[in-house]
Amino acid sequence: MLELIDITKRFGQRCVAERLSLSVGAGETLALLGPSGGGKSTLLKIIAGLEKPDAGSVHFAGADITAAAPEAREFALMFQDFALFPHLDVSGNVGFGLVERRVARAEIRERVEAALAQVGLAGYGARRVFTLSGGEQQRVALARALVTRPRLMLLDEPFSSLDANLRQSLQQVFRRLLADAGIPAILVTHDRAEAFALADRVALLRNGHIVQQAAPTELLASPADAWVARFVGFDNVLGSALVPEQAFCFGDAQPLRRVEALEALAEGVRLTVAFEQGPLRLTLSPREAAGLGDGLRVGGAVRVGIDPARMIPLPA
Amino acid sequence: MGGALDPRGAQGRAVIERFDPKRTALTLLPLLFLAVVVVAPLARLLAEGWDHLSANILTDAYLRWRIVWSLIQAAVTCVLTLLLGVPLAWALARFDFAGRTLVLRLLMLPFVMPTLVAGLGVLALAGPHGVLPFNGQDTPWLLLYGNLFYNLPLVLRAGVDGIAAVPASRLAAARSLGATPWRTFWRVEWPAVRPWLASALCLVFLYCFSGFGLALLLGGQRYATVDVEIYSLVAYELNLGDAGALALAMMAITGAAALGYAWVEKRLAAPGKLEPIAPRKPATLAERAWLAVALLTLLTFSGAPLIAVLGRALMAGPDAWAVLAEPDTLAALANSGRFSLIALGLASVLGVTHALIARRSLWLRGAVFLPFIVSPVCVAFGLLLLYPTWTASLALLLSAYALFAYPFIAKALAAALDALPASQPQAAQSLGATPWRAFWRVSWPWLLPAFRRGLAFAAATTVGEFAVTLFLSRPEWMTLTTLIYQRLGRPGSANLDAALVLSALLMLFALLAFVLIEWPSPLERARRALAGRAVAATELPHA
Amino acid sequence: MFTKRLLPLALVAAGLAPFAHAAELRVLTHDSFELPKPLIAQFEKQSGVKLSIIKAGDAGAMVNKLILTKANPIADVAFGIDNSLVGKAAAAGVIEPYAPAGKVLQSLPDGVVSVDYGYVTLNIDKAWFAKNGKPLPTSLDALTTPAYKDLLVVPNPATSSPGLAFLSANVQGMGEDKAFAFWGKLRDNGVKVAKGWSEAYYTDFSRNGGSRPIVVSYATSPAAEVFYSKTKLTESPTANLNLPGGVFQQVEGAALIKGGGERAAAKQFIDYLRSSPVQQALQTTMWMYPVNPAAAIDPVFKHADKPGAVPAADSKAIASRGQQWVARWTRVVLKGGQ
Repeated sequence: MLELIDITKRFGQRCVAERLSLSVGAGETLALLGPSGGGKSTLLKIIAGLEKPDAGSVHFAGADITAAAPEAREFALMFQDFALFPHLDVSGNVGFGLVERRVARAEIRERVEAALAQVGLAGYGARRVFTLSGGEQQRVALARALVTRPRLMLLDEPFSSLDANLRQSLQQVFRRLLADAGIPAILVTHDRAEAFALADRVALLRNGHIVQQAAPTELLASPADAWVARFVGFDNVLGSALVPEQAFCFGDAQPLRRVEALEALAEGVRLTVAFEQGPLRLTLSPREAAGLGDGLRVGGAVRVGIDPARMIPLPA
Repeated sequence: MGGALDPRGAQGRAVIERFDPKRTALTLLPLLFLAVVVVAPLARLLAEGWDHLSANILTDAYLRWRIVWSLIQAAVTCVLTLLLGVPLAWALARFDFAGRTLVLRLLMLPFVMPTLVAGLGVLALAGPHGVLPFNGQDTPWLLLYGNLFYNLPLVLRAGVDGIAAVPASRLAAARSLGATPWRTFWRVEWPAVRPWLASALCLVFLYCFSGFGLALLLGGQRYATVDVEIYSLVAYELNLGDAGALALAMMAITGAAALGYAWVEKRLAAPGKLEPIAPRKPATLAERAWLAVALLTLLTFSGAPLIAVLGRALMAGPDAWAVLAEPDTLAALANSGRFSLIALGLASVLGVTHALIARRSLWLRGAVFLPFIVSPVCVAFGLLLLYPTWTASLALLLSAYALFAYPFIAKALAAALDALPASQPQAAQSLGATPWRAFWRVSWPWLLPAFRRGLAFAAATTVGEFAVTLFLSRPEWMTLTTLIYQRLGRPGSANLDAALVLSALLMLFALLAFVLIEWPSPLERARRALAGRAVAATELPHA
Repeated sequence: MFTKRLLPLALVAAGLAPFAHAAELRVLTHDSFELPKPLIAQFEKQSGVKLSIIKAGDAGAMVNKLILTKANPIADVAFGIDNSLVGKAAAAGVIEPYAPAGKVLQSLPDGVVSVDYGYVTLNIDKAWFAKNGKPLPTSLDALTTPAYKDLLVVPNPATSSPGLAFLSANVQGMGEDKAFAFWGKLRDNGVKVAKGWSEAYYTDFSRNGGSRPIVVSYATSPAAEVFYSKTKLTESPTANLNLPGGVFQQVEGAALIKGGGERAAAKQFIDYLRSSPVQQALQTTMWMYPVNPAAAIDPVFKHADKPGAVPAADSKAIASRGQQWVARWTRVVLKGGQ
């Protein structure tokens, strides 16, 4: 549906995109994952038409829309700070795009109410937006974007300002609503958990380049390089390979190794153990931890080894 | 990515630039207006005196002293109004009291008063026959007083609006990080209010420098600024060569002041947040005392002369009040209303368009003050030279009103535009609004409070119309202000009384205009009520 | 919102504002010009032209505006050119001479038609002198003595017509060098200089807000004080102080502007200014004496002590040297003497 071809964009010395190409299929959710300051938001604005690329083109449904005005693209952009309009009440905010599309007043009222009910805010229409909590504001922003039935949804760190519980429940709402409406979406985030939870596919953006793009499972199974591996959450990255949890093996056959650090978790214990290659981190379930006996303390020693067959090689 | 690293200017510009193609004509409007009404006439006047133009006049020790004196008193006034204005503004911005809104509207009344009437008010207090036991006439104190009368409200209003716009969360953050209220002011509020004060102080400087002030009236011609010299050279001596040289020298100074303002404002511009703090009742004795002192100071410097005028008008007796029923008065009142409305309409268009282009460059931002940079008498005579057949037209007179009114709107809007978060119009566009629709539906409501504030000041200048005697006029265009001056142009106590009664009417008229212009919208009322509740619930101790 | 709804309407109204043209006679005047409306209407009816009266500041500024727009006149006829300005206007060639018949008390040179006359002189606050038991000064020089320290206020001749008139009288009465010596002593004796007549009279004159009981004003001012008094006074609170070399006889006139149109109507208007009804009316609107001997003097003028024989003002000298006088005056009085 959406295709970016050779997009280049610079702000002075800083390169935000360098001959960058990307595509999103119908109904697909793509996460643009990358460190803060990597130009992800700018890329989103280029897609939305709020920024012009220095070079390259943007296509949607086969048409070149590089020069199209943002309002003509029928994409919905959700901002990190939600960008709710403080001078309008909740209904006014949600109905904003419908007014622009010259929808009849009665229909606007109906659709706004339906959208608010969808995000669990039925009856909030007359409230002022600055009286709402962060999560409520976020849902208003979502309703405002969805109600126009956009051809593409653009989300800029939509959950970053919310607490963990709220984030999880809202992410589920998001997934469901996007799937129900069949709207393709691009999500910009620096949070890998968010990317993996929401996206069908994840593109890793670094210094203006896409380093790797793949489905979450695929990405975890074979990261393209050490940077990617670290960024998607692997702790134990060695020179040419990484050591996933499943590569560690226990038992009397394994050598005793010193425990350097230990951290208790609800779901077990996290250890840092000294290996020949350097300190590696692993997580034990309570059951496994119980089996390791009294060596399991800082300064103690446990029997643990690595199964080389289960290590993931990194491309050179 | 985000606001942290992306230069916000770049983001903001992206949207503004997209406005351009369709609005080029509109943005050219203020420049065209300035070119036709200010630049061309000035150039024409300079050309007329070109052959005799020489810098010799600047070697005159007397004139140099006049220039230095103009600079000194303008600078001193700036410092004084700042020192006095900021604590006063803080009290008015943070503390609630009965009649607070009214006080904020009344604040602009000094602006409307014809200088001569204000002088009468001051003398009724501290003159040889004043109610106070000392005679301040011809002392430097009265000079100072006169400057504060007009300029304190200007700085105060800017300060109040600036301080009130500091987001509550920022203050709370500072306090929770261990800052005392004083440190909070210094490190959080002061930086936020500086751009607001910069433009007000620039205006104070320009006003004092050109010196159509009460101070000069009370102090006599000993204290005249250079502007009086230019006026006399042009209007009486027709010595356009020397006048041109002097006017250019003055423009160099006032222009530098305007550019300085533009630079400060541009540098300090930061996107704001719509999360203002509602004023609260003063809680401690110290706070109550502070507020009381602030209000008393304001009353002393800016209220007392007005009250004196009002008092004298009331004591004038029913015969004097009969002036209100005279056909001349009614006609003048109607003219004042009519002209103000038209001039404000024109000033609004110019102000909005100039504010939009002001962000493009320092020069365009500084040009907002062009009407106050140039010598009005040079412009008036230049217009006469350039468009002789048009000079006696109402259109030109109203253009002159608009010329001196629109900078207030433009500067208020330019500052508000700086504070507009880029995501707001962008969100509107991503929801399908064209740039124009996004401006109208999202940016404009954000700018509206600033617009109305600017409009109120603009209204004050159109009602006060200080430079209007420089332009050709007609008896049937008599306004309240010119009627007052006409009355004071003749001897006799009845004329004086009539002038005072008319001044009272002028105050009432202006106050009505201010209240209407700044009538709080439902949104503002809602926000105020809400903020009041929030503050009551989570009040930070101020001790 | 209030303004939002009304502004477009107002703008339309401005567009439609009267620019309708009948035959129109453009009359340039100083700001003090005033005649009763019925008289204006009567003239318009008689002549069939519409009077368009344009106020152009005070007389000095008005004449300069005429001179500046010589090539493209902004008026057909001007009123308010007085004997201190007539030389300048004539030299600049803005006047088309006109000489109507009729006997008048005062006349003006260079084809300017005299309309009224009056005197710039010192006024005193009677109550102040009575209260302080001070005798009135008997000469201008007395004003430079310690007895009269800080008692005089004058409008700046650089920005005010009566100010310039008073200075001209001094120069004519004493000779240039003596006059400026006198001003030097006046400065040392605390003379206050105000921007214009209104400022001097209403903020510095002790009769009103100020502390100075002697002010440069007009000979008719005491009569106006009675005319415009609240409680009908039988005696004026102020009086003229007509001192030798301190009285300027001002003769105001009207003139046809070279290059202007509506010649017949313009002449008719000037004649009308000299007609009895106008001559009668201008006494209590502009506070000047009529030049037409047939016009009866208004009874209120008995409160004005009309100065006796005053040497006629030297228009030529004022035209040629006026600017130098003002410059020298500024140097002596404001710059602190040189």
